[in-house]
Amino acid sequence: MQSIEKSKTNVFGNHIVMKRDRIDELLPEYLDNTISEKDRVELEAYLARSEEGRKELEEMKTLFEAFEKEETTVPSNSLRMQFEEALEAEKSKSGKVIPLESKEKKSSWASNVLKIAASIALLVTSFQIGSVFQQKKVDGNIASLENETLQMKQTVMLSLMENQSASKRIQGVNYIEEIPNPDDAVVDALAKRMLNDENDNVRLTAFEALSRFSSSEKVKEVFMEALSKEKNPSIQIVIIQVLVQMQEKKAIGPMQRLLEQEDTQPFIKEQIKTGLPKII
Amino acid sequence: METLTDEIIMQKVAQGNLDLLKLLFDRHHKHVYNFLYKMSGDRMLSEDLTQDVFYKVIKYRGTYKNGSYVSWLFTIARNSLKTHFTRNQHNHDDIEVLEYKPVESENITAQEDYSHLQNVLNQLDPSDRELIILNRFKEVKYEELAEIVGSTPGAVKTRVCRVLKKVKQMYLETI
Repeated sequence: MQSIEKSKTNVFGNHIVMKRDRIDELLPEYLDNTISEKDRVELEAYLARSEEGRKELEEMKTLFEAFEKEETTVPSNSLRMQFEEALEAEKSKSGKVIPLESKEKKSSWASNVLKIAASIALLVTSFQIGSVFQQKKVDGNIASLENETLQMKQTVMLSLMENQSASKRIQGVNYIEEIPNPDDAVVDALAKRMLNDENDNVRLTAFEALSRFSSSEKVKEVFMEALSKEKNPSIQIVIIQVLVQMQEKKAIGPMQRLLEQEDTQPFIKEQIKTGLPKII
Repeated sequence: METLTDEIIMQKVAQGNLDLLKLLFDRHHKHVYNFLYKMSGDRMLSEDLTQDVFYKVIKYRGTYKNGSYVSWLFTIARNSLKTHFTRNQHNHDDIEVLEYKPVESENITAQEDYSHLQNVLNQLDPSDRELIILNRFKEVKYEELAEIVGSTPGAVKTRVCRVLKKVKQMYLETI
């Protein structure tokens, strides 16, 4: 409102009143030399006309000079020292942080890959170790199972050999073929069958079974005993043939005794006669 | 490096080049100190506060947002001063929080010897005083002044001119 009023008075030419506020703003700019060209022309025109304006300018100039002359106080040196100390402290604080951060980032990538690789390796190894152990266990299981079946067969065999039926006893004796390494109990049972069984067929089968283990001293002794004890000629012949084949020198004695015995069948004697010279 | 503007240097500082802060300290610490001294009239306090201002510059360098560096710096200085007088409010029972007037000359004759101009400035309102001090001694432009005191350049300009006239009268009256 005021400015409008003043611009009105401008029309009537009252320069001093109208420009009061404006001059107040222009004078500092004029003295600072930041005034725009247009304003400067306007102000200088005004100053040329106005005694009061020139006085005001001079006063303002005095004040500005006082501002310029006003001595600036200088802070003590400790200010700079303290500042530089603080700056160094901050630098060492952040200087340590920054490389750590980037380092961490870098190594975390590498270590992540390493971690993954290590975990995969761990997984694979543990899986393989597990399967190896599993295999061993299975093998052990199978072995013990096999062992068990053998034992079963042996037991079955031994019990069958004691059976009243001759055919069952033969069946029992025949089981020997399924046992790769018969123990003493089996050999004893077979020998007993061979020496003592009343049935010829059982004795023959027992002999055939035992002849597979003719390298055993015990089996040889059994053969020798059977040779002197056996009355069935067909079995005698088989025993003689096997002994001759084995080149068993200990068999010479029993064979000669058979030759001397009267009740020995002539064809047995023949067999012994042809066989003896072969045992050297 | 010497020819770079305050703003570019401060951006580099904000990005981590702390050494450049020395340059800014060299350029501005006297102005900050003088502003604080002219505002408070206390050399020791001004030195402490100047120290505080530059600590804050170090600490809050990340908050600098590409504006005028001088505005940013003097906003910090102004706030430090304000905080100081708010904290010591209980020492100035009858004075309003922001009415931080310099110690009256009769109390400090031994310590401080104010110039005539300073005595005139001391009689101003703190808000007027800071405008004049910033505008006349540091030659802070109206735009930056407006930023510091939170006003518009036009309003600041009008006010500065009005206060200058007042100062002129007071200065000449008592000479």
